[in-house]
Parts: sequence; C-alpha cells; structure tokens
Amino acid sequence: MLALQFLTRQLAFVGKELVEVVRRPGAVLSLVIGPFLIMALFGSGYTGIRPPLRTILVVPPDTGLSTDAATYRDVAPGLDIVDVVPAADAAEARLRARTVDVVVIAPTDLTGRFAAGQQSTIEVRINTADPVGQAHAGFLAAQLANEVNERLIETAAAEGGEYALSAGRPEALRIPARVIAAPTRSELVNVAPSEPGVVSYFGPAVLALVLQHLAVTLVSLSLVRERTSGIIELFRISPISTVEVILGKVLAFGLLAAAIAVGTLALLGELGVPTLGDPVHLAGVLGLLLVASLGLGTLIAVVSDSERQAVQLSLLVLLASVFFSGFVLNVDEFQPEVRGVAYLLPVTHGIRLAQDVMLHGWINAPWHAAALAGIAAGLLFASWVLLRRGMTRL
Amino acid sequence: MDTHGAVIFEAVTRRFNGTVAVSDMSLHVDAGTIVGIIGPSGAGKTTAVRLMTGGLGPSSGRVRVLGEDPRSFRRRTRERIGYMPQQFTLYPDLTSGENVDFVASLFGLLWRRRRRRVRDVLRLVDLWDVRGRRAAALSGGMQRRLELASALVHDPALLFLDEPTAGVDPLLRARIWDELHRIRDAGRTLVVTTQYVTEAEECDRVALVADGRLVAFAAPDDLRRTAVGGDVIEVRTNVPLDAARIAGLDGVREIRQTGPRTFLATVDDAGAATPDVVDAVDAAGAETVSVREYRPSFDEVFAALVARAAANAPDAGEGDRARDPGAPARAA
Repeated sequence: MLALQFLTRQLAFVGKELVEVVRRPGAVLSLVIGPFLIMALFGSGYTGIRPPLRTILVVPPDTGLSTDAATYRDVAPGLDIVDVVPAADAAEARLRARTVDVVVIAPTDLTGRFAAGQQSTIEVRINTADPVGQAHAGFLAAQLANEVNERLIETAAAEGGEYALSAGRPEALRIPARVIAAPTRSELVNVAPSEPGVVSYFGPAVLALVLQHLAVTLVSLSLVRERTSGIIELFRISPISTVEVILGKVLAFGLLAAAIAVGTLALLGELGVPTLGDPVHLAGVLGLLLVASLGLGTLIAVVSDSERQAVQLSLLVLLASVFFSGFVLNVDEFQPEVRGVAYLLPVTHGIRLAQDVMLHGWINAPWHAAALAGIAAGLLFASWVLLRRGMTRL
Repeated sequence: MDTHGAVIFEAVTRRFNGTVAVSDMSLHVDAGTIVGIIGPSGAGKTTAVRLMTGGLGPSSGRVRVLGEDPRSFRRRTRERIGYMPQQFTLYPDLTSGENVDFVASLFGLLWRRRRRRVRDVLRLVDLWDVRGRRAAALSGGMQRRLELASALVHDPALLFLDEPTAGVDPLLRARIWDELHRIRDAGRTLVVTTQYVTEAEECDRVALVADGRLVAFAAPDDLRRTAVGGDVIEVRTNVPLDAARIAGLDGVREIRQTGPRTFLATVDDAGAATPDVVDAVDAAGAETVSVREYRPSFDEVFAALVARAAANAPDAGEGDRARDPGAPARAA
C-alpha cells in the first residue's frame, strides 16, 4: 500500500509537470531551439579561418628589395600585402587610422648586415586591443621572420655553392640550398577516430549545455513558483515528504529532458555529428548530467525568494558554463584554482564525457563520471536539507 | 489520541520579530464539531490556523492537534488533515479536475478512489461542469471552491478552512455551510476562519479574536448572553411609556428605551422575568401589546464583546500588532 501511494505521488508530479510544460510549450521550445538556432548559424557561418591581415610593407630605398606588392604574396600566408611604401610615417598613419592591420618595416641593408655577421630586425607594428589578435599577429611576425631567414640562408647557401664550385669543390653542391635553409619540415597526422567539422565538434558540447540549462531552468522555476505561490504549505501538511517532492521533480523533468535529449541527438545525427561510442555509455553520461543539473536547479529554487532571482541565478550558471566548462575555452588553460571552480559545474564533466563517447568512442577519463555522480549527490543532498529546513523552520 | 480534543491550544503566543500575532490563546476544539474563528482582518485568525497545521510554531505555549505536535505530525496523521489556505495556491495551468486529482494523489489516494472522490467533491462545489477548464480561467469564487474541493478530496477527519466562503456568493455560501454541517455530522471536525460575523451562527462554537487575543470562546447563544449580560426581551406597549419607570425590578439588569412604545429589558432569565415586566407595565398605566425574545445580531454581539475586551485589556490603546503578520509566508 505504501509503495503504491509512493508511486501515486511520483506519478502525480510527473503528470502535473508534463501537463504544465505541454500547456506552455514556448518556454521549452525557446530553451531547446534557441541554442540550436544559434549553433546552426554559428556552424554555417563560421569558417575557422582568420582573414589575412591587411599589411603595408615599408621598404626603405636603400634595401634593394622589390617595391612591388605582388612579389611578397607568398612571404607570409596570413599577411595580405596591400601596399609597399618607402617611409614608415605614412604607413603608421594608416595603421593608427585602422585602415590597415599591420605595418612591416623591412630592415635596411639586410644582406650587408647578414654578411657582416649582424642580426637585423624586422619590425612588425599592429594596432589592436584584442589579445587574441595580438597573439595571432605575433605568430605571423615569427612566421615572417622564419620565412625571411630561410630565404636569406637559401641565398647564402646558393652563393656558397657557387663559390665552392668555382673553387673546384663540386661535392659541396650535394646538399641543396633549400635543405640547408630548412633542414626539417613538419607534417601533421591526426589519429583521432573522427575529424569533425566545427558544428560536429561543438555538437556534444551544445547538447550538454542545452540539457544542463534546460534542467536547471525548468526545475528551478517550477519549484520556486510553488514556494512563492504558497502551495508548498500544502506539501508540508500533506503526507508527502521532502524526498518525495525532490524525487518527483527529478523524475518529471528528467523524463522530459531525456525525451528532448533523444530528439537533440537525432538532430545532431542529421547534422553529421557522429556517435562513435556505446549508446548505453552515452545514455549513462547524459543521465548523470541531467540528475546533477536537476540537483543544481533544485538548489537554485531553494535559495531563491522569487522567480526573478531563480532566472538570474540560472543565467549566471549558463554564463559560467560558457566560460569555464570547456565549451569555448579549454579547461586546462585556467589556473588550477579556477579549474576547481570549473569542475564544480556539471556541464564541465558532461561536455568532456559526451565528447569522449561521441567523437572518440570511449571515455578517456572515467573520473569525470564519478565527479558528475558526486556533484549530483551533493547538490540533491544540499537541496533536501535546505528545502526540509525551509518547510519546518517557521 | 485525545478523542475529545481534536485541537488544543494552551496559552499559545506567537510573535513575529517582537510583534504579537497571537497572544496567550487557549482553546479546546472538540472532535465532531465546527469551530469558527471569527474576527476582522489582521486579528490573528490565519496565524492561529497555521499554528494548528504546523505551518508555524508557537513562541510559547503548547499546541496539540489529533494528539500530536503539529510540527512533527506523523504521515498517518497528515493523511487525516485537510487544509484550505486563504490564497489561491493551486496550479493555474492545470484544469479544475487535474488540480483536485493532483492534491488527491499527494494524499496517496489510489486511482479508483481518487477518480470517485474527485468527481464527488467537484459536484459538491458546483465545478463538475467546468472540470476541464484551467484554474486560471476560473472566477475568484470558483477558485475558492476549487480550493475547498481540494481540501475535501481525501475525506479528512480534521479540516482547517481559512476563509472558505470569502468571495463566494450568498447562495453558494449557504450550500457550502450545508456541506460543512454534513461533514461535521459524519463525525469530522472543522476549524473555519471567517470575516463574516454572521457565519458564527453556523458554528457549534465560536472563537472571537481581535488583535491576536481570544475575546470569547463559546457556543453562539452563549456568546449572545455573554455580550448582552443575559436574556433580552423586547416589549411593545399600547401607549407611549417611559421605560425608566419599570427599572429596578428583581431579575432585570438593564432597561433601554428603543422607541416611545418599545423598550428592551435585559433580564437574568426571560421565562422568569417576563410576567414581572408585564405586571410592571400594567402598573405604569400601559398595556403590553407584545413581548418577544430579542436576538441581537452577531455584529452587535461581536462589537460588544470586542469593546468590552478592549476596555479590560491592560494595554488598551497600545497598537503593537502589525496587520496580518501571520498570513502564510509566500516562500517557505
């Protein structure tokens, strides 16, 4: 009898929550479809390739270098030489006016200084506040220096070969000048089982983020609405326990989110996102993520005094998730202390595990699953303690 | 369980940050009766009910409901209690039927019985025809009836109804009281708060509260006697008569002239005093046209009792109470 009553209460919550959601489909649709529309736009519009930087090359008259911009087309792939000028001032003015991105000033008497055993400086000037852009320009500058160095060495080696030949040492020509200038080259081979495009790569992360956001928002709003409307008073008087209330919510929204997860996975499949791993593992990962997220949403509801506060906290969680979860930036790039905060978010583990199962076919670091389970247990326990105290501390 | 004391208050006081909402209240609700807690808005009625349901704990004193401390009711005890809060707290997106069904499920009613009870209570409160309508689309009165149906659906032994008739039209109000009487007759206990003083007549006992204090707690007729100091008879004479001329009779406490030919006499016992009053009228040169028992309205009773209590209160005139401090917290 008690078991039947328990089941009756749980089913009542499931039915009630599902009916409420069905009667207000807009909220769920915006929660699910919104991120996917953004993702689709991102995927279809983002190339992953930075446009070449508009560059002015300053070639002083006494360098002997060409003043034809076309000559420098292949010097550095990321630089688009739009003009070659003799003086730095005019180029600098255009840089400050931000009509060009980079000014490269060639050193004077490059070959003479090289022959004299002196190092020359290629000055690369930029005008950007974007730290990523700055790093990119630095990378291009280093690439440019390498390229120039290679050409100098190649020229010197060729001159040395001609000298050796004239001196009766033909064996010196056995090593081509190009090899002397660049003895090694690299070739990148990716052994990953899949090489997804941008959309495919972000697919598992979007799935994890959408599920967390959906679960957090739905359960927090539902419970905080019950707290503020006063129906929690009825819960307190009725024979339902705090555990049953929380379990009912988790079950109801867990089922709803699971259905959405299945639909989302089908959509991701259509977009070409692979699922290389065991679907059971994927289901387990998403299940853990959902339970942890529902625990987080319940906790938000318990500490919030109004729907507005619950929405604000849910959005803060979303914002923190975008920055710290590995969704955009690699978690390992953070300081260890901040990384600890990142690992408190369910989605951090969810993204990693979902990417492992879907894109690699196996879970490389199972501790993420254990962490997710621990977070779920901790959040649900904290929610239970606080909700119970809130219902009896009167 | 104390079968004769469904609810027991012993010197219960409840303060909110120093503000007294319920002050030194003692009352005893017998099983199988309707007790009305009556008083103006902010009198402490809701606080008293929430102390009974365990929604609040007392600052001092002792509360026992069905033999237990309300703050630690056992599950079985909870199943025997029904509660209708003052505000509409159900789900606006669910239909009437779904709301009642949900509450029935909370109380563990299994499917077959639940279906029958939902139908019965919705018919009782005249909402069966709108069982498929969302609660948000119901009128205020309908929402009150929906709350009432939800409180009744599990057929509780003890019902706490916080202003069940507020916003309900007089005809339906009468039907609701009929149903409450029927529930009482079936052996259930009801604690009902109301602002409608006239509804005191519907209760077996009435707790009059004002400013957090229990002004009186008695059966309606006893309250009348307490308020006016005995029985009251209204005497009509054939000619104008100065009623002061018959003052001083044995058993007559007070004479009040209400018209040239009518006066009210407050007597210890109407049966014993009426012949003496008639004789006194004759002796004064008039004839008695009619004598009947006068029943003051509960508005008058309430006003008299509250005025008397205020006059007797040690801190009369000092307003240390906030309005409705015990209204249900909007967040648990």
